[in-house]
Amino acid sequence: MNRLQANLCLLCVTLFWSSEVIIYSCIPEGVPAFATTCVTALIGAALLAAPFHRRVLDALRAGGVRLVLAGLGLAALNSSYNTLYLFGMKSLDVASSAFTLSMTVVVLPVVLLSMHRRVAARTWVSVALVLSGIVLALGKSAMVSANAPALGIIVGGCLLRAVMIVLLADIVKKHDPLVVTVLFEMFVVPLSLIGWFFEDPRLFAGLHLSRTLVSAWALYAYFIVAFATTLNTFSMRRVSATNATVIYSMEIVFSLAWGALLPGGIVERIAITPRIAIGAVLVVAGALAEIFNMGGKRKEAQA
Amino acid sequence: MTKRPIRRFFVLLTVYLVVAIPFKAMNLIPGFTDVRPVQALGPIYGIFFGPLGCLAAAFGNLVADTVDDALRWTSIAGFASNFIGPLLVWLYWTRVSRTPFSLRTARDLLRYCLVIVVMAVVEDAIVAPAVKLVYPEVDFSFLAAAVFGNTAGFPIVLGIPLSILLQEEMGLKPADARLD
Repeated sequence: MNRLQANLCLLCVTLFWSSEVIIYSCIPEGVPAFATTCVTALIGAALLAAPFHRRVLDALRAGGVRLVLAGLGLAALNSSYNTLYLFGMKSLDVASSAFTLSMTVVVLPVVLLSMHRRVAARTWVSVALVLSGIVLALGKSAMVSANAPALGIIVGGCLLRAVMIVLLADIVKKHDPLVVTVLFEMFVVPLSLIGWFFEDPRLFAGLHLSRTLVSAWALYAYFIVAFATTLNTFSMRRVSATNATVIYSMEIVFSLAWGALLPGGIVERIAITPRIAIGAVLVVAGALAEIFNMGGKRKEAQA
Repeated sequence: MTKRPIRRFFVLLTVYLVVAIPFKAMNLIPGFTDVRPVQALGPIYGIFFGPLGCLAAAFGNLVADTVDDALRWTSIAGFASNFIGPLLVWLYWTRVSRTPFSLRTARDLLRYCLVIVVMAVVEDAIVAPAVKLVYPEVDFSFLAAAVFGNTAGFPIVLGIPLSILLQEEMGLKPADARLD
């Protein structure tokens, strides 16, 4: 996989993540979010572990405790930032949430700098384009209306997410990305089970398993958990953490597109104003500058 | 036919059904037509598994229709289009193209997209008139647009990353020109 391919794969991952809302809309009301995370992580891990069990066992023998701890650490960070997002978003409106959730693209280069790592000048340009696009698209009201504690919680979540992205980029460069994905999903299962227990101690006994719920879980497990996570870890091996985060920022553009195209029962409808359109164009420009390595060496794309 | 291709056929058929059936059980986007991400598998089966893969895609579509209680005369057209479309993709990369299948450059990606669009037009030309013939009350332009959207959109959006993953990271090689 070369850099162009890795970036395209990351773009696809972002598209999948943005479409989570469509699958979620099919999940019957009353099903805890942690239940969906727990069951779909279990299905996703099983789907990947079944055909590649030998590869997983070989990698575990070679990687030992370090690899297992890496999987556990990633799962813990993932569960923590998702929980912070969940709590933070309860006190914010949609526009403010979208704005603060997109802050990872700004937080991540800062995290890298604090770790004494170099960030390419081109990436700073992409980050600036993306940030200006987000600010323009969401408007001043989105930032002003947000309350400070909720903002703090979400920015804390962004910080954990940024650390997770940096760690993931490091781990998959040393270990088999497929095995990292399997371990990550396997550890998400018990962690989300704890959250599920706090939400509804009856766990599986409290669920009414309908055909729609099973189908929605199957779709979520195939596309969001198994496919997108695998694609993400393999792509992260070829690109830097900042590069990946710039591509992830396209999620806001996809979300705007879903909001404009899909019926109101599935997503909150969004009217595309000139301001939103220009903001989205800036985000896309930032991502394209990163994807096609504008101003960079052509040779790199072929590597 | 030896045991290996038979086993491979059933593995491909199973994967197709595992992806197709959950979508049959639910209306993902109410008001929109059937959303079929499984259509991404057809060209991938053609590229990596040749005619055997095309056959698996065609039978997969037929079995999924049966499971969904949607087996009708028009399923024959569905079977034909799901076999011919991926076969055209395989024929292009084994008989027409001077270079083997790859998605490493922007040019490769553009060529793949063009082949998929041609495949979608051919599949549409088989399915849409057949459905209109059997069910004259169907809105032809809406049906044709839906078939084209599914057969061109998913192989591009889903098929490109899946092909990259299979070829570049899993080491799967594109099928050769042999008819096995």
